[in-house]
Amino acid sequence: MAVEATAASTAPTLLRVEDLCLAYEVRHRVSRERTKTIALQDVSLELCSGQTLALVGPSGSGKSSLARCLVLLERPSSGRILYQGQDILKLSPDAEKSVRQELHLIFQDSATALNPRFTVQELVAEPLLIHKSIFPGVNFNEKVRELLDQVELGKTWHDRRPLELSGGQRQRVAIARGFALRPKILVLDEALSALDLSAQAQLANLLLDLQECHGLSYLYVTHDLRMARALADEVAVLEAGRIVQSGLPAEVLTPSLQPVS
Amino acid sequence: MAKVAPRVAHSCLLLLAVSVLSFALLSAAPGNFFDELRLNPSISPETVAALKAQYGVDQPWPARYFHWLSSIVHGEFGYSLSYHCSVGSLLWPRARNTLLLTSLAMLFAWMLAIPWGIVEAVKPNSWLSHITSWLTSTLLGIPELVLGLLLLFFAARTSWVPTGGMFSSNPSSASASWKLADLARHLVLPVAALVLGSAPIFVRYVRSAVAEVWGAPFIEHMRGLGIPTVRLLYRHALPVAANSLISVFGFSLGALLSTSLVIEIVLSWPGLGPLALEALLSRDIYVVMAVVLLSSVFLVFGNLVADLLLYWSDPRIRTV
Repeated sequence: MAVEATAASTAPTLLRVEDLCLAYEVRHRVSRERTKTIALQDVSLELCSGQTLALVGPSGSGKSSLARCLVLLERPSSGRILYQGQDILKLSPDAEKSVRQELHLIFQDSATALNPRFTVQELVAEPLLIHKSIFPGVNFNEKVRELLDQVELGKTWHDRRPLELSGGQRQRVAIARGFALRPKILVLDEALSALDLSAQAQLANLLLDLQECHGLSYLYVTHDLRMARALADEVAVLEAGRIVQSGLPAEVLTPSLQPVS
Repeated sequence: MAKVAPRVAHSCLLLLAVSVLSFALLSAAPGNFFDELRLNPSISPETVAALKAQYGVDQPWPARYFHWLSSIVHGEFGYSLSYHCSVGSLLWPRARNTLLLTSLAMLFAWMLAIPWGIVEAVKPNSWLSHITSWLTSTLLGIPELVLGLLLLFFAARTSWVPTGGMFSSNPSSASASWKLADLARHLVLPVAALVLGSAPIFVRYVRSAVAEVWGAPFIEHMRGLGIPTVRLLYRHALPVAANSLISVFGFSLGALLSTSLVIEIVLSWPGLGPLALEALLSRDIYVVMAVVLLSSVFLVFGNLVADLLLYWSDPRIRTV
């Protein structure tokens, strides 16, 4: 089921997923028997420029698998992922590298998603160093400072390591790092779920501010319907690897109207 | 320095405790060096008693312990009743031979284990990984003694390398390069036995440490950024995986003097192994004590080196 652009979104389509299927094959170590688990089945959706699409669903419904496919951490079994009209599953390694700059994943558990040996500055600088060819003549130290200012992380924290920070601060670092390459799409895989309510609200506001300033698009993977309603322009419900509902938050996330959500 | 000094002091206390305990246990064991003399009818009990008094064996163990401790200060480590000389003069040439053998073996074992373990961790489903995994399991299943005997059999059948000893009975006029080449040929068999015995264990440690980090979300995240695999491995995965490997490295340093005991005996390497075995069988208590103490010194030193390496390599430990 495709999520069509609603009347509210007149922005051009940035990302289109068509009939995406993903199956994991596991071979038993002793019996050598192969078993197949279907994670995604014929998933189709669209994300418009500058908008937020919330992907909700119960645990094990395939939300994270879809997120990983979108940032090329998983190769789907079939289907297409069109980013600005280009199928990113068929790109050359060089072209793929440039697409990776524009699609970025932020994980739920920032404690494990950040290299524990790096300082905050080093963590944010790393994507810049990997793709330094796209920043000719840029002073990386200044750029890192600017990024950390944007996520409101003061100078006192710049030399700290992830385990010296709170969960909210770590997620700010993850956002600053995710934002370092000026991506067009941020895939937020339960990025706010592990935080307390106050930190969730602060980061949600930060994400909305960044979206407003830079025209970012978010694919917000969550099981928190309240946050989905607050952040999303559109919502898609994933269940057992299939999209079973989609539309405006007010339509999809009203229990009396939609039994699944 | 402020962090090292307490560790060194702690290590010295530990060594002292090990020496007291070992000496007490060895003294408590039934029998001594002179018991066999009693069985000889031509030696009178008075002669045995006089010999015991001469060598101080009839004294209580604390007195003998302090006497032995004072001899360590002079580098003698007591007196060998079997060899009739100071233990120090016996110990150092043997310890040097053992260290030469085990240092080379450890070096080669780690050089082999690091790339081998990384391949198994990073490409777990590749054919190369399947082969190396099978080889590791096979080698782990072969006892060191059997490994030594197999290599000995191989050397005896092929005559490619000497089957034992450290030097051939070469003329004294032989050049230094000839002697060096001769030593290298004699080292092949015991080093190979030790490497084949210890490398699979290190491979398992390397594989486990790297595999754990390789699946971590921060590595996944970096992969998502399109970072080249080599950079991912050297800049991110290996430094994080290094901590547990440094501890194992420290332990392998500590085992340098004790790891080759069986192989030295099987392949007639003139190291500490045969000396320790003979001393144990003949109850030459001061030689046994010296070997135990030296092994403990290495174990404590290895752990200290590992701690210092961890302190140097991991910024998180420095900031605690």
